[in-house]
Amino acid sequence: MTTNMDVEPGDDLKLEIKQLIMDTLGITDIRPEDVDDREPLFGGKNALTLDSVDGIEIIMALQRKYGVRLNDQNLARHIIQSIQSIAEFIAREKPVV
Amino acid sequence: MTSITTFQHKMGAHCESGTVTALLNHGGLNITEPMLFGISSGLFFGYFHKHKSFTFPTFIVRSRPGDMRKNSQKRLGVRYKTFSFRDPVKGTAVLDSLLEKQIPVASQVDFFYLDYVPTWERVHINVHFMVIFGKEGDEYIISDSYFPKPVKLPAESLKRGRFAGGNMSPKGFLFYPVSIDTDIDLKEPILKGIRKTCFNMLSLPVPFIGIKGIRMFARKVTDWPKFARDTEHLSHEIMKINILLEDQGTGGAGFRFMYASFLQQAAPVIQKPDLLELSEEMMLIGDKWREISLFAARIGKNRDLGSDRLQELSEQIMDRADAEEQFFQKLKRTIR
Repeated sequence: MTTNMDVEPGDDLKLEIKQLIMDTLGITDIRPEDVDDREPLFGGKNALTLDSVDGIEIIMALQRKYGVRLNDQNLARHIIQSIQSIAEFIAREKPVV
Repeated sequence: MTSITTFQHKMGAHCESGTVTALLNHGGLNITEPMLFGISSGLFFGYFHKHKSFTFPTFIVRSRPGDMRKNSQKRLGVRYKTFSFRDPVKGTAVLDSLLEKQIPVASQVDFFYLDYVPTWERVHINVHFMVIFGKEGDEYIISDSYFPKPVKLPAESLKRGRFAGGNMSPKGFLFYPVSIDTDIDLKEPILKGIRKTCFNMLSLPVPFIGIKGIRMFARKVTDWPKFARDTEHLSHEIMKINILLEDQGTGGAGFRFMYASFLQQAAPVIQKPDLLELSEEMMLIGDKWREISLFAARIGKNRDLGSDRLQELSEQIMDRADAEEQFFQKLKRTIR
């Protein structure tokens, strides 16, 4: 298996991740475009304010959709900080078919 | 100012294995955190339904604090120098003199006093480990494997953390390796580590340890409401299943993912390609533990704690016991 070396994620990927999070958590009252890419998802001023249970749901959803494993919880905590950091991780780690 | 510039900070999955690995790497031994974890038989399971140290039933998913250092001593032939103190002044003086000598040193602390940890994450855990590798003015430079970069901690906070009271109090405990065989062949340590883990999980004649412990957890979790003061208390304890499996530096799914990485790395060293397949199987076992932690967190969060839900949780845990029993029997046969 190889991984992408180009780590700069595109807007399409960020939008897709926002939609995935909202679908996974059943959030219907916010539009994906209202979610700031760089604001913290946990405890920040983002339109999405998530908790640690939501965090595990997101990790599992990312694994299912993109085939990326986020096994290490310490690392996961840093990666799922924001849409930007998730997108950078996916762009870097998603297996190239 | 003292800073050991040759010490390299690395993030780790777990504080003790991350700390010991960092010190061994600094001493010239090329070993990864999962390899250290597997060799020192870090994977474990114990269920405590009634215990004098716990006010509510609980479980552990790793060996006792300190065992990773002790087992690395036994199996890798590393010799450590250790110190405990009653007097904080003396404890600080010894730490400072080691740093002056350019020796990075591991320290046991109460996690609660680490100012660099966000306040909402701070809890009293007396068995957190980290490496201290420098001092600038009144601040120590810390390599805490939970953080991506080195951090600074005021001397007063470190003193409070090192000399906190309570169960398993650190007593200023410090350690560092004084002798490391950097050319050691890892084959025999790997085999010994796996054999001991298989023994702990399959054969220890104690009803609450290993697979027997997972089964006891599955049977007894339906009794947890009897121990709870009210629904809030029960929901808090059920949500702690998620914390014990996923947080507290477990490396994910109660250390099962870290053990899978160990098996993957061990396969070429001991020339047992079957370990690669077992590594994949352990990953899948970990995925199911993660589903359990999510299920527990969800029903706890939603206060959905009826007997049918707890029965469902019990069945999921029992399923893990069956899967791990088969897994460790296969692992034992593979390394025979």
